[in-house]
Order: sequence, then C-alpha cells, then structure tokens
Amino acid sequence: MITTLLYIEDDQEIGSFVVEHLRAHQYEVKWLRSGDRATEEVENCSLIILDVMLPGLDGFTVGQRLKKVAPSIPILMLSARTAIDDKLQGLQFADDYVTKPFHPDELIARIEVLLRRSSTFSNVPTNVKHLLVYEAENRIVNTDNEEEITLSGKQFHIFMYLIRHLGQIMTKEQIYESVWGESYLEGDKTLMVHIRYLREKIERDPASPEIIETIRGLGYRIRG
Amino acid sequence: MKKAIRKPRESKWFARQSLRSQYLLIVLGSFLFIPVVMPIVSVSYIVFGNMMNGNPKDDLKYGNASDVRAMWYAAAAEMEGKSTPQINLRLHELKAQYPEASIFWVNSAGATELELPPQAGIPDLWMPSDAVAFMKKSVNTDPYTVVAFMGKDNAHSSFMVLQMPRDLFERPATIGTPVYIAIIFTMFVLFVTISILFFRHIQRRLLHLQSAMALQDEHGIPKPVELRRTDEIGGLEAAFNGMIEQLHISRERQLEEEALRKSLIANLSHDLRTPLTVMSGHLYGLREEALSDRGRNSLSIVQDKVSGLSELIDNLLTHTLMTSGRYQLSPEPLDVLRLARESAAGWYPIWERENMEVEVLLPEEAWVWNVDKAGFQRILDNLFQNIVRHASQGGYIGLFVEQHAGRSALVIADRGTGIHSESGAKGAGIGLVIVNYLIVEMGLGLETDSSSEGTRIYIYERKK
Repeated sequence: MITTLLYIEDDQEIGSFVVEHLRAHQYEVKWLRSGDRATEEVENCSLIILDVMLPGLDGFTVGQRLKKVAPSIPILMLSARTAIDDKLQGLQFADDYVTKPFHPDELIARIEVLLRRSSTFSNVPTNVKHLLVYEAENRIVNTDNEEEITLSGKQFHIFMYLIRHLGQIMTKEQIYESVWGESYLEGDKTLMVHIRYLREKIERDPASPEIIETIRGLGYRIRG
Repeated sequence: MKKAIRKPRESKWFARQSLRSQYLLIVLGSFLFIPVVMPIVSVSYIVFGNMMNGNPKDDLKYGNASDVRAMWYAAAAEMEGKSTPQINLRLHELKAQYPEASIFWVNSAGATELELPPQAGIPDLWMPSDAVAFMKKSVNTDPYTVVAFMGKDNAHSSFMVLQMPRDLFERPATIGTPVYIAIIFTMFVLFVTISILFFRHIQRRLLHLQSAMALQDEHGIPKPVELRRTDEIGGLEAAFNGMIEQLHISRERQLEEEALRKSLIANLSHDLRTPLTVMSGHLYGLREEALSDRGRNSLSIVQDKVSGLSELIDNLLTHTLMTSGRYQLSPEPLDVLRLARESAAGWYPIWERENMEVEVLLPEEAWVWNVDKAGFQRILDNLFQNIVRHASQGGYIGLFVEQHAGRSALVIADRGTGIHSESGAKGAGIGLVIVNYLIVEMGLGLETDSSSEGTRIYIYERKK
C-alpha cells in the first residue's frame, strides 16, 4: 500500500530534492507551492509536511486550518525559522518540528515515527531483529519459530512504548509515567522487574539482550 | 514630528504670571499697610464708629457741654419771681442731679447766696471786677463753667453758676487703642496666612507634579499632567508633558524597530537556511554517487561545515533574541537530574557515532531547581554540542553529581585537551555566551575546571 504525503513548500530547490528523496523512500507526494488550497488536497493523505514561510497564508495559519479539517492527520512542521516562540506556536498543532537544514534521513525517520504513532498507519509490521511487530493488531511474532508472543498488559505497554519511539532512548521516568500513568518514584524496582520478564519472553538470550538495550544511567532503547 | 519643548520663561523683572512677582505683591502689601492702611483704619473707625453708635452723646453721662448749658439756662429762666429759699431748694435738687457739679448763685445785690459745695475763691460779695475776673478765668478751662442770669429771658442781675469737670463731656480716648492693636494683629495674621497659603499652593502643585512623574502607565511612561496656570510651575508642567510626548514617540519608534528587527531575524534566518538546506540535500545526493576516497573525504568535510554553519546561525539568532529581551524565561521547580538524563538520552546516538565512552552516574533522587525548562535544556545542548565539536578526540563524556565548594553540582566532564587549547574554540564562543546568559538569568552558577587532561563543568544553584 502506498502512503501519500501532502507537502507544502514554496522553495523550488528544497521542494524538488525533498520530493525526490521521499519518492525514493516509496512515498507518494502531493506537492503544493502554497497553503491556499491545502484543505482541499488533504484528503487521502497520511501526513502533512508543512513549511512555515509561505507566500499568502503562513504555515501556522495553514496548519491550524488543516488541524480543524483533518485532526487525525499528523503535521510535521518544516521551517527555516528558528525563533523560539515560533517553535512553541507551531507545536500547539504540529506533531513534530524539523528545522532547516535537516538531514534527509532525519526527515524520513521523523515521518516514520509520526506515521507509526498515528492511527491511519497501515498494518505494515515493524521489524526488530527476529521480531515482527503488528502495531495495528497488537501482535508480536517471533520469526525464529513463527510463533506469536503473548505479553502481559504492562509488558506489552512497555514494549509498544519503546517501539513507538524506535531508536530513541527513553528514561525510566518516561517509560514508567507513560505506562503506569503516575509519577515515577526514586528507587522503584517495578519497571526493572517488568523489563526482566519482558526480556525473558522476547529475547533470544535474556542474559545478553539484543532487542531492549539498557543504556547505563539513562534508560532503555529498541533500535530499528 | 518634532515639537520643541517650551523654553523656560526668560524672567523679566516683573511679570504678572511670575511666582516672584506674586510673592513680591504680598510683601509689598504688608509694607504698605502701615502708612496707608493705618490712616484708612482710623478714618473708617471714626466714620463707622459714629454711624454704629448713632448719637455720640449716648456715651456721655449728661450729654455734651451745650446740653448742660441749655439745661442750666432753662433752670435759670425758671427762677423768675422765686424767693431765695425756693431758689436754694431748686439748686439743691440740681446738685443732686449733677453730683459732680459745683453750684453757686449770686443775688441781685451781688452777695453769694449758696455754694454747693462750699468753694474757695468765691467772694461773698461780688464787685463788677470780680465778676469779670471770674468770667475771664472760666473761659476754656477745666472745669467747664456756665453762668446764667436768672429770670425770664435771663434778664435779672442775679446769676447762677455751674461748674463741671470737662472730662465728663469727652469721650474716653482709650477706647480706640485695643481696636488698632487688633487690626494690626489681624493684618499680620492675614499676611502670614496668605504667605503660607501661597507657598502651600506652590508646594501642592510641585507634589502633584512629583506624583504625576511617579505614576506610570503599562509602558513605564508617566501620564501627562493637566496645565492649569502659565507661571513657572506651569512651564515645568508643560516641559514635563513635552518630555512624555518625546518618550511616547521614542517608545513607538522602539517598538517599530523591534518588530522590524524580529522580522529581519526571521527573514534572515529563512534566507540563510534555505541555501544551506539545498546544499545539504545535494550533498546527501552526492553521497549516492561514485566518488573517490578523496572525494568522499571532501564531501564529509563540507557536510560537517554546513551543519556547523547551521548551528552557528541558530545560536546567533538565539543570542540576538536574548539580548533584545525577546527570549522569555519562565522558571519553575523542575528535577534537573531528570532533564539532564532526558537531554543525554537525546544526545546518546551522536556520542555513539563519535565512538565516545558515555558515563552517566546520576542519582535517582530528584534535584529540584527553579529553572526554565527550555533554557536549561539549551544550556545542556550547547555544552554537549561543544564537547562533540571540540573534545570528542578525548573519547569520553561523563555526567555525574559532586559536592563542589559546598554545593551540590551537576558535573559534565570530557577528556579533551582543555578549553584553552581546543581547536576552533573561537567558533564555539557564541554557544557558550548563550550558556552564560541563561545560567545568570536562571540564578545558577557555572564553573569550568580545564586542563590538558580534560574539562569539568560544574553547574549549581546559586540561591540557597
């Protein structure tokens, strides 16, 4: 299934190489030179990449309009502006923010994170080592033996939280607060216990884990 | 639109609107009051006194001298055909009426018949010369003397004499004196009161002006005052209003400039970053092409420089925003160790790529400092960035806590060659300027301990 992105950018040179790069990564791109007709074109798009400095309506106005028309479609702001208050203004409706110049790979990574997070994402599984993770179906398959892995509620939430933040190190506080929904208390061993059980279920060798990495002093990470 | 502030009034010696002139008038009035006002008061006292009292004789016991004389003549006329005892009786009655008076009468033979009371110097038998001498002696002297011939039309040769002390006919002179004193005193009090009121009025207007200067509107500019008079203080008020107008104009200009600067920064940012974005995009495209090792090496150098330039622009613009007061910090109590962990987690992949050993030894307890979240993150970002850029050859980054000079400090350590020998340290300048600005603004302290073995940066809370 082809994912369509709506890309609003007035600069010809930036636009053409970004579009080329996105197409090289198997995305279909609708490129608009201004935001005036954005709300009409947003249909069937899975994600919006929006430049701030646009002729006519500026990116913030366009973004706010798009969020009203299609609240479920994630918006990635792309801007050469760096003013700190711009960032805050943008993030009120934008789901992420990338400042120019950006690394093309970073852009792709951010797009993937946003798409994975959004509910419109297709059920293409995420591959992590020997695991295939079907987020939409809450299913994890071990490719070594093609068996489905069953996790307890908390284990599943921890795992999915790290999958959604693929490649990012999440601190114990962040994981705990996201999964348990309450603030993390110092010296709490609960999370460590859950991670140990989680590893026993998903790792080939729980003694030297490959999927959930421990970053000493910081937290945990699942690398894509 | 430049409006000249009104020049202070060049002081003419006497100008009606001048405070000096006003006060001179008051002083002059008080000096003139003795020679001018005193006679006026005297005259008005008499005039008003008479008018008020109606008949001045009412003050006198027996009326004035002519009243007494008329009475005496009438009494003498009534003596027509009366016998000596009858006359004596009548005179006794009169004596009772006028106890202060001396009375005697002389019959037609020239003999003194009755003396009330007996008096020295009255002859028993009157010669014509005696009469003349008595009359002469009695004219315009004290006592006041009335001689009346008896009988109808006072035609007889017998006569009766009444002598009365003159002061009985004169108004007591002492009545006026306390009135004068009172008037002078009143005038003095009036002068003092007017002076006090005059100066109080000046003082009140000055205080009014002072409080008007202290009162400020939302932009810190005082409101203009209402102009009431055109004297020196009025001039001061006008100058004050002119100054406020100037302040408003310059404030407006400042706002315009600020807005202009902000849009300039935004545009500059856009204009600088757009070519950089295009460059990095094409550099990325070049990587896919077949290149020699030298080409690859050049490519990575250029890529490095492009990202360095981008950071520099970011820092430069941030610094501009900060120094123009556009960067608002809102400090709140936050666990800085948690912020440090989260920031380090974000930087970890970059440290990994640089093959740096990462040692994070932060306790799990919370260190709650009063900091601005974005500001604190920016401090850490700039310091980490600096280490990656200039101390990555040390291959180490450490993050831990330590007691430093009696305070709990967050320590960021590297094993680079030290700040002073670091290559291109100048380029990192602005990032550290931003760090120092934020440290000061958030009430934190930062100390750097640098040697050729590496650098340790201590961050601590200054308050407490």
